[in-house]
Amino acid sequence: MTETLIQIDNLHKYFGKNEVLKGIHLEIKKGEVVVIIGPSGSGKSTLLRSMNLLEEATSGKVIFEGVDITDPKNDLFAMREKMGMVFQQFNLFPNMTVLDNITLSPIKTKGIARSTAEKMAHELLEKVGLPDKANAYPQSLSGGQQQRIAIARGLAMEPDVLLFDEPTSALDPEMVGEVLSVMQDLAKSGMTMVIVTHEMGFAREVADRVIFMADGVVVEDGTPKQIFEETKEQRTKDFLGKVL
Amino acid sequence: MNFSFLPTYLPYFNYGALVTIFVSLLVVFFGTILGVLLAFAQRSKFRLLVWLANIYVWIFRGTPMVVQIMISFAMMHINAPTFQLGVLGVDLSRLLPGIIILSMNSGAYVSETVRAGINAVPKGQIEAAYSLGIRPKNAMRYVVMPQAIKNILPALGNEFVTIIKDSSLLSTIGVMELWNGASTVATTTYIPLEPLLFAAFYYLIMTSILTLALKAFENRMGQGDKK
Repeated sequence: MTETLIQIDNLHKYFGKNEVLKGIHLEIKKGEVVVIIGPSGSGKSTLLRSMNLLEEATSGKVIFEGVDITDPKNDLFAMREKMGMVFQQFNLFPNMTVLDNITLSPIKTKGIARSTAEKMAHELLEKVGLPDKANAYPQSLSGGQQQRIAIARGLAMEPDVLLFDEPTSALDPEMVGEVLSVMQDLAKSGMTMVIVTHEMGFAREVADRVIFMADGVVVEDGTPKQIFEETKEQRTKDFLGKVL
Repeated sequence: MNFSFLPTYLPYFNYGALVTIFVSLLVVFFGTILGVLLAFAQRSKFRLLVWLANIYVWIFRGTPMVVQIMISFAMMHINAPTFQLGVLGVDLSRLLPGIIILSMNSGAYVSETVRAGINAVPKGQIEAAYSLGIRPKNAMRYVVMPQAIKNILPALGNEFVTIIKDSSLLSTIGVMELWNGASTVATTTYIPLEPLLFAAFYYLIMTSILTLALKAFENRMGQGDKK
């Protein structure tokens, strides 16, 4: 459980003149469930999106499984295959059925046979509780269903880590639970997960580690107990006071 | 109203309409190909290509079509093959410069349509594809383009309607299409108004049928969107 999966070294990110990440150092270990919390504008989504380089850092390194993916000489896309991502807006492909959404990359990127990919997709749909939606189009599904499909799509690449960018923030309240429960099952199965969320209850219950960010820096990094109950940082206290 | 010319001169209108349809089909075909190429040139990594495509679009959108047609004719008429097309009785040395310039003009407009159609695909779609390890070429092919085409098709249909109407400008270089036919009938019969009205009616029929067909097609395309 001590193998480092993602290592972030002195990461800086500017949007124009605005520095949103101010030298982040972070290690994510295999099997860990890491939840990143913090006020909006703290840079937590940017940090998460930097991990698979959807956001290109201004300086600093992101090393995934020993490969520096910020180095353009390395094959970024080959590494991205092993890092799934779940988005706030689901981002399912509306021009495809649920089944094709899930099997597209396994077939086109990994070169897996269609029959194998589809068998796997059906198993994943079973896992996220939507076995009967294989032939539906995304628009015909609720937000919660779409997000569970998006998780299945990410899992179909058999990634070593799943990144979650506020996965429940765009959902109606009554649908948050079904997505969180899928994520909880995943966490139990030993999947490495990095989750940006505002769901403090979930963070407390599921996280191995909680990272509190504010103003582009990691303010605190510890167990849920340390962050939620024993923090001495004023900024953490202020934030938790507002959201809990 | 004096439509006494009709029994004698109806074939003029029918042949004219046929030439108009023939020209428009060719122009839509070549204009679309050109437009797609231009749109990709404008999105290219190579600065020179982007620059050339932008200049092209700037010139063709910034000058009147009649002017473009006349210049094209002046440049090409002498060199173009002069034999007559048997079926439609059209002088190829006039038709060819006309089709070429209309296609080039249409391409400039289509490129903007294609560009807008691609840009209208949400950024999250590309990000989702990239996050799954799908490389840019496949992301474009399987994720972006199918959605872009859905955005582009309605506008492309409108472009077709525009071309049918604009092809009447080819009468200025002597292409015997519908408008030229109507004008000829008007001067030959000394009936100034009614032949032109009849031509307008023909255009209206053509564009209306096309518009209805496009609507039906769009509705079929849109079925995946329905809840």
